[in-house]
Amino acid sequence: MLIRIILVVALLAATSLAYAWWSRRNGAVRIVDVPGALSSETLGAERGFRATFVQFSTPMCAKCPSTATLLRQVASEYKDVNHIEIDASQRLDLARQFDIMRTPTVLVLNTDGVVVARMSGPPSVAQARAALDTAPPESAPYSI
Amino acid sequence: MANETPAPLVRHASGDHQIDPRGPRFGAAITLVLAIIALILGASTAGVVLMALLAVLFVPGATVGPQATLQAAIFKRVVRPRLSAPTQTESFRAPRFAQQVGLAFSLLAVVFGAVDSPVGFFVFAGFVAVASFLNSVFNFCLGCEIYLLAKRASTRNA
Repeated sequence: MLIRIILVVALLAATSLAYAWWSRRNGAVRIVDVPGALSSETLGAERGFRATFVQFSTPMCAKCPSTATLLRQVASEYKDVNHIEIDASQRLDLARQFDIMRTPTVLVLNTDGVVVARMSGPPSVAQARAALDTAPPESAPYSI
Repeated sequence: MANETPAPLVRHASGDHQIDPRGPRFGAAITLVLAIIALILGASTAGVVLMALLAVLFVPGATVGPQATLQAAIFKRVVRPRLSAPTQTESFRAPRFAQQVGLAFSLLAVVFGAVDSPVGFFVFAGFVAVASFLNSVFNFCLGCEIYLLAKRASTRNA
């Protein structure tokens, strides 16, 4: 029986370590280089002049509403940053184009609508702000 | 406390019955305790009986949804009145799939225990313990994640 107890403890410890590793990767900002720009028309909503958070959600995603609230809040703190939420189950074309494996996945578009970063899993406020560093205000040079 | 106004609901697909996410999490804690005891008892008669009990507890959750389990009934009567209203609700479908996975794995543990295979028993009872551990301790529903991946894979090519 003692060896079984040790095995159970080892199993749960290994599980905890695996989960800790997995959750650290959540919302991590990955710089990407995806050719082709997304237009407002394709997205069905207005892009931001400086940057856009494009959040892919599904109706059954538990963390999506809170992520949307968080990103809208962060977007409102900056000038010309928008948040667009897309139902991945309705827009399968976009979900496959961008290889959306889980929700929420957030693409960061720069001023031209090019994807410059991506966050898989619910991001923290700090991660969302860091993601905007990939689309700095200087990159949106035209102003009236 | 039971008379608080419910959390505002976002628009959900019709037929997508919503549940308090803390209910399945409480149920997972009960599952975890039973699974750990079964693992420690090993593929003995007691251990197999315990996994069979776990399988029986999974049956209403696997067919109707987690809201129909005995653990959910305990949650509603004992735990929920002491908590504030949920800030968010979730669809029952993904947790129901997680219950189906739990049922399948606990049945497999019973089978391996019945044929006196301690390794097989430990593997499948271990899966049940790991999944319920992740759910109750870290609020991570492994079955739900698999369900969403499977849904995506099964939709026809748009």
